Amino acid sequence: MVLEATMICIDNSEWMRNGDYSPTRFQAQADAVNLICGAKTQSNPENTVGVLTMAGKGVRVLVTPTSDLGKILACMHGLEIGGEMNMTAGIQVAQLALKHRQNKKQQQRIIVFAGSPIKYDKKVLETIGRKLKKNSVALDIVDFGEEDDGKPEKLEALLSSVNNNDSSHIVHVPPGPSALSDVLISTPIFTGDGEGGSGFAAAAAAAAAAGGVSGFDFGVDPNLDPELALALRVSMEEERARQEAAAKKASEDAAKQEKGGEQASSSQDATMAEPVSSSGPGADNKRADLTEDETALLEQALAMSMDDPRSSQSGGVSVGDTDMSEATTEDQELAFALQMSVQDSAKDTASQNDMSKVLGDQSFMSSILASLPGVDPNDPSVKDLLASLQGQTEQKKDEDKPPSEGEK
Amino acid sequence: MSAQSATAIQRSQVDLLDFIDWTGVECLNQNTGHSLSNALKQGYREDEGLHLESDADEQLLIYIPFMQVVKLHSVVIIGPEEEGPRMVKLFANKEHMGFSNVNDFPPSDSAVLSLDNLKGKPVVLKYVKFQNVRSLTIFIEDNQCGADITKIQKIILYGTTVETTDMKGLKKVEDH
Repeated sequence: MVLEATMICIDNSEWMRNGDYSPTRFQAQADAVNLICGAKTQSNPENTVGVLTMAGKGVRVLVTPTSDLGKILACMHGLEIGGEMNMTAGIQVAQLALKHRQNKKQQQRIIVFAGSPIKYDKKVLETIGRKLKKNSVALDIVDFGEEDDGKPEKLEALLSSVNNNDSSHIVHVPPGPSALSDVLISTPIFTGDGEGGSGFAAAAAAAAAAGGVSGFDFGVDPNLDPELALALRVSMEEERARQEAAAKKASEDAAKQEKGGEQASSSQDATMAEPVSSSGPGADNKRADLTEDETALLEQALAMSMDDPRSSQSGGVSVGDTDMSEATTEDQELAFALQMSVQDSAKDTASQNDMSKVLGDQSFMSSILASLPGVDPNDPSVKDLLASLQGQTEQKKDEDKPPSEGEK
Repeated sequence: MSAQSATAIQRSQVDLLDFIDWTGVECLNQNTGHSLSNALKQGYREDEGLHLESDADEQLLIYIPFMQVVKLHSVVIIGPEEEGPRMVKLFANKEHMGFSNVNDFPPSDSAVLSLDNLKGKPVVLKYVKFQNVRSLTIFIEDNQCGADITKIQKIILYGTTVETTDMKGLKKVEDH
């Protein structure tokens, strides 16, 4: 919110044709200038900004300090690249322009874009810096473009001779994928000596975040919108917890369905293979946890898993499994009861059909036959008779068996 | 001459401290830790430990506006023997000067401070030049020993006020 008059010194020398900052160094500079003007004007409507070029035919003031953003943007048009940068003269002219500012209450600031190599030596720069300090002019330096030997040191020396109470700053921007303006947004040059992002800077930062370069979590400035930032964070944590629970469930599903002999149809792949023995209690837990769409499938698998221990006990009645899956729907007790009844009826039929009864009858029959004179139970014909008797007794299970002579 | 000036000070010359407009007071090239208030303000200037110091080099440019028009008679500048100011130039009614245009105008008065002055002897000014003073600019060009830093303990301005309308005292005239 500090009331300030700023002069921006642009480097439009030949070195600015280079494309290591996209699209060209000069264009990146122009974008940065536009952003700075916007930020300054927004932080305090009475701030004024002016622009001058340091190269070309000579130092030229394009626009004197004004708060009219349109004028500033218009003058950036049609600038020509050429010549060599004259930084000392540029700074001096900027100082003069600031001296003749209309509102004398404004603080004076110069922003220099130093893209070309610096041909002055440290002493000269320090003298300039001291002069600026004496006239209480703050200086911001953007070191980009050409990387000389000693350029950063020279600029640092200049900064230290100007710096009064940390009001002056320097930023070194190496060439890279991120735009010059994006890098500058987070620096004190933009945020105005750490006043805590002006609305413009924060909005610009959010826009940059949308583009992928973000200083904030979730692309939302907590200063700007704390509730939104909090809501985003909470939902992220919930999502993470849900995914963990789903993964855990999926692993249990997979183990259960392996046992049932079916392919797991649930979406998550089962990375954990639980041992079959532990699936018993696991299956019971699963019963309690069922809430998903795969309910029917899960129940089927569950029923089959319960069938297996039962059938293994009874001694391999494998047919019962298929029957059970069709018969059972949801009720565990019902399934159990049906299973028991199936097993009982299996015993009654000799080898499915009244086996025990026939056996009993057979022994009875053979004993009777043996008691009869002249009848040998081992005689094939007798055996045939016995077989036919068995067929008859299948139909008449509950009746007394007539003697084999009757059949004959 | 000195006796005359001594009596002149006693005769109705007031310390103009009360008439300084503090919102407009500025000092260029001051060290932020040792600012102008240390030398001007009541209480601070009496304190031996507090003084005004220059920063980048030995020159200082002090701008003091007044709340009303004053006549300036004399000035007392107290400082250390070595780092105290030597060449002092005063400009009346020149606003917002900078170091670059200090030498463009002839000063209203200038003085070379002696060690006596630095001890408290007032510097009598050309009274005729300071009859109608709205603001005063003091330019300290160098110091006694040529050091890089100039130190000033106390600055006192003596003079009288001119009959000026006090705008706060104006009352609205009732419409008849």
